[in-house]
Amino acid sequence: MDGKIIVVTSGKGGVGKTTATASIGAALAAEGKRVLVVDMDIGLRNLDVVMGLENRIVFNVVDAVKGKCRINQAAIKDRRIENLYLLPASQSDNKDVLIPEDMIRFGAKIRSEFDYVLMDCPAGIERGFENSVAAADEAVVICMPEVSSVRDADRVIGLLYARDITPKLVVNRIVPDMVARGDMLSHEDIVDVLSIDLLGLVPMDDHVVISTNTGMPLIMQKDSKAGQAFRRIAQRLNGNTDIPIEIPQGQGRFWKRIGTKFGLGK
Amino acid sequence: METTDQNNAPVRLKGMGDGLCVSLDPDQPRAFIRSELTRLFQPLKHLAVNARVILDFGEAEGDEGLVDELGVFLKENFGVGSVTQTPKRRGSSEDFVRRRDVDRSWHHYRSDVLMLTGRVRSGQKVTARRHLLILGDVNPGGEVVAGGDILIMGSLAGTAIAGQPDEVDTIVLALDFRPTQVQIGSVVAAGPPPSRRRFPEYAHVEGGHIVVENYMKANPFGRMPWPEVR
Repeated sequence: MDGKIIVVTSGKGGVGKTTATASIGAALAAEGKRVLVVDMDIGLRNLDVVMGLENRIVFNVVDAVKGKCRINQAAIKDRRIENLYLLPASQSDNKDVLIPEDMIRFGAKIRSEFDYVLMDCPAGIERGFENSVAAADEAVVICMPEVSSVRDADRVIGLLYARDITPKLVVNRIVPDMVARGDMLSHEDIVDVLSIDLLGLVPMDDHVVISTNTGMPLIMQKDSKAGQAFRRIAQRLNGNTDIPIEIPQGQGRFWKRIGTKFGLGK
Repeated sequence: METTDQNNAPVRLKGMGDGLCVSLDPDQPRAFIRSELTRLFQPLKHLAVNARVILDFGEAEGDEGLVDELGVFLKENFGVGSVTQTPKRRGSSEDFVRRRDVDRSWHHYRSDVLMLTGRVRSGQKVTARRHLLILGDVNPGGEVVAGGDILIMGSLAGTAIAGQPDEVDTIVLALDFRPTQVQIGSVVAAGPPPSRRRFPEYAHVEGGHIVVENYMKANPFGRMPWPEVR
């Protein structure tokens, strides 16, 4: 097996990297691929909680990279989705315990065991970022429709280009009604500034909070629009590039909703 | 050592085409100049007869009186033909600039422009020794710095610093002008408030302040009578 390592990054914190990593990882596994998601936020471990696997951690990514255990000992198998594995971060170390060279060596090892490895990159552009990016073949940049998030994503895109990685863009937490009112940047504005390929658009969704708190994968919640968006993103990552990019639509006005109930237009 | 002395001698003689060129320092005493001329012209004998003599005063200003006086002296003693002064070099007068530019002197001008294509992203900094031309955009958080003008053929949303360190005659031009900050020389201004204007604008210094104007309306260089190297 010669898998791909994909780093999920953003520069800014709190834009949904961890949620995106968990959801895309789960969706890829649901497609039948063997997937490992790695939490690279050493010292501030989160991905295990989002995936509902926090009570099963024995070894962590630092142990696995340093060779204190085998990968299959450290990787936690998800019981709900087959072929999905989590390599959690260490909570007691800090980012300096690993160096990019370690990660390149480790990357070569895990590439042979999985189809896709998703690296959940920490916020910032320091050592944690360097470690996450060191072994990556591809990158997904998560950006929110906010000026500060766009600025940080732009910086990260520059750094990724400098490492010979062409990143793809996911715009997260779009509130369609705000975009329509002109109170929020539209995805066109963001693509204009960042000028990289768009991988998908994810609407703001209450299900994300529920999913994070309960540890239930977002993509398994049938009526979650964000979950569906992440499924499509995973399919595009997996090579189905013909799937059209759906632009999140708002609820619209009261009368429009009534109209929809009676089957008058969409 | 001798050659050095020779070169620094106050009066020197050398053959030049069909004439003789005498370099001399007009500040030396007249008697000394005469004695030196005698010393140099004596050995020439008949070669000096009817020769065209040009007096070169170098950087110093020689007056007409001295030329006439030495002319008479040389004609009487050595029978030279004519005595004139080297034609004065033109300074960089308006006249000269005009002729040079109408003559298209930029044919031999080595460019001082750094021309780049692409996008300057947040955190990236482009520095040009003189003028900077970017075919592309400057994103918010990007920085472009130049010793001369900055021209952005695209949108400028980052910081532009022109005319470093102290040239306030420079401009910052962009097709879509919405910078975070503009500096020209040592004058600093915050960018304009966000708007959806999309026409070429340029910033320049007027009365110690940075002024932004519609480039096409102001057409700052359109009134120049001929193209000039900037």
